Amino acid sequence: MSNVLEVTNLSITFDTPRGNLRAVNDATIALEQGESIGVVGESGSGKTVLSRAIMGLLPGTATRTGSIKYMGKEISDLPEKELRELWGTGMAMIFQDPMTTLNPVRRIGSQLTESLTVRLKLSKKEAHEQAIELLRRVRIPDPEGMMRKFPYQLSGGMRQRIMIAIAVSCKPELLFADEPTTALDVTVQAQVLELLTELRKEFNMAMILVTHDLGVVAGHTDKIAVMYAGDVVEMAATRELFTNMKMPYTEALLKSIPRLETPTGTRLPVIEGRLPDPTKNEPGCPFANRCPYVADKCRAEKPPLKDTGNGHLYRCWFPIGGEK
Amino acid sequence: MFKNFWKKPLGFKFATLWLFFVVFITVTYDLFPFVKWDRISDMSQGDGPFKVPGHFLGTSYDGLDMFTALMHGARMSTFVAVVSVVVGGGIGSILGITAAYYRGTYDKIMSSMFNMMLAIPNLVMSLALISVLANGNNSHPATNTRRLIVLTISLTIVIIPILGRIARSSTLQWSSREFVLASKSIGTKNLQIIKSHIVPNVAPAILAIGFFAVGVVMIAEGSLSILGIGIPGGASWGSLLAIGRANLEYAPHEVYLPVLCIAFTVISTNYFGDYIRANLDKRESKI
Repeated sequence: MSNVLEVTNLSITFDTPRGNLRAVNDATIALEQGESIGVVGESGSGKTVLSRAIMGLLPGTATRTGSIKYMGKEISDLPEKELRELWGTGMAMIFQDPMTTLNPVRRIGSQLTESLTVRLKLSKKEAHEQAIELLRRVRIPDPEGMMRKFPYQLSGGMRQRIMIAIAVSCKPELLFADEPTTALDVTVQAQVLELLTELRKEFNMAMILVTHDLGVVAGHTDKIAVMYAGDVVEMAATRELFTNMKMPYTEALLKSIPRLETPTGTRLPVIEGRLPDPTKNEPGCPFANRCPYVADKCRAEKPPLKDTGNGHLYRCWFPIGGEK
Repeated sequence: MFKNFWKKPLGFKFATLWLFFVVFITVTYDLFPFVKWDRISDMSQGDGPFKVPGHFLGTSYDGLDMFTALMHGARMSTFVAVVSVVVGGGIGSILGITAAYYRGTYDKIMSSMFNMMLAIPNLVMSLALISVLANGNNSHPATNTRRLIVLTISLTIVIIPILGRIARSSTLQWSSREFVLASKSIGTKNLQIIKSHIVPNVAPAILAIGFFAVGVVMIAEGSLSILGIGIPGGASWGSLLAIGRANLEYAPHEVYLPVLCIAFTVISTNYFGDYIRANLDKRESKI
């Protein structure tokens, strides 16, 4: 199978008044058709920047090195005009907060048909029919009535369904979901994720699911990339990652998910400390200051990305369970 | 907005009726079988309102019927104010919205241009433009039409930076919203985004300030007339006021009637501007 997306050694730095901010270091990711990858990490680890960089939606203050290939074609140096041809029909994005991603003064119908008439050049009538079909696909009751509603009349989950409908309206090959469930109620989260997985399988889309919640990606992705301070620190197939975890950071992330069986009043486990300052380039492993297994070598030298041999990549001197 | 009209506050009713009245006269003035507005009466000169039959708002010191003169004045004042606000507001909005949307050097040039224009007081600016562009020599004085056109253009130029800045700041606020990025990420072109996402959100703010601007222009036009460079011959409210000033002792109504007309109109437009803005805030909080 051919790779839909191939990202090689992608680095993003932002030129800020405090100096160069390194948001993503040397990220290498490949994605096959229909495959989905979860990008996990805490706030500020560079996961949103990574997805927006691949899409080409970064502001002008960002500098980008490395290569991004979409369908075998280099797109990292394309001007916005040519990228726009890809947006919507090739790559599409679902954003974090459905409260702000719909235009408050326009009806759902006109926002939904916009991409259909503009990008797919459908007639008004065809677009209307297709939009209703899309609404039905994302399981919205009374699609006809929904077309005439304004965003403020809808709940968060409904709005996110609309956003998903808009994103998949032009049948993209690659779908970015940037924390699609973070702003939603827990009860709705599962439904929205189910819907995404279902649509992905139906349209055979590749998907990049960005989230801070390991639990979210567990059942909905084929691979997981864990990011920390701009580095991809561990990457493996989902099952492999959960059964054979190598990075102390991944373990810490997993431990910080609250569990039902703990007694009432137990303190929630947290990862102590903070992310290192991304404008400074300090030696050593960036996680050293927060790692429970830290040794002298960790503070002196940054570990390289190692491979266990079956595609499980990790970046640690002393991985859990030892080498291999 | 006009639902339950009679239950609205008194100010709203007054403002609506007054503006409706003024606009009605402006549009239909030519259809009325009134006496020609500049015909001089031989019978009555400088009588106050309700003194002589046939002239219920009285006559000016020169014998003009005040009611017809005011109606004619309404037309000219409204014409100048509305045309300069619509044209100036249109140009200002286009410049402001594109500047804020595309940013970069174009935006820097536009905002410094707006700031430079705002640094010159309106009256001085119009004064300079009119004296240069509509000032014939003694043997060939500038025609009234030319003065009217130059006056309108100069007030338009005054309006451009005012509404341009409003449009710019409002666009800055809206274009950083996620829905613009979301629309961009499905491949919508910039012009289409401006048309369908920016303009509908920015329009109410521009409309509200536009109503204020009508008042500002009306006052500016009156001031220019008093300074002697407005529309001559009592053709607008400001111009009637300018003539009446000389006869203040003998015919005070010649001053206070046009002043009342200007004041009512400015108060009404301001009230409307406020009303639109208040409703806008209400809607904003719903989002």
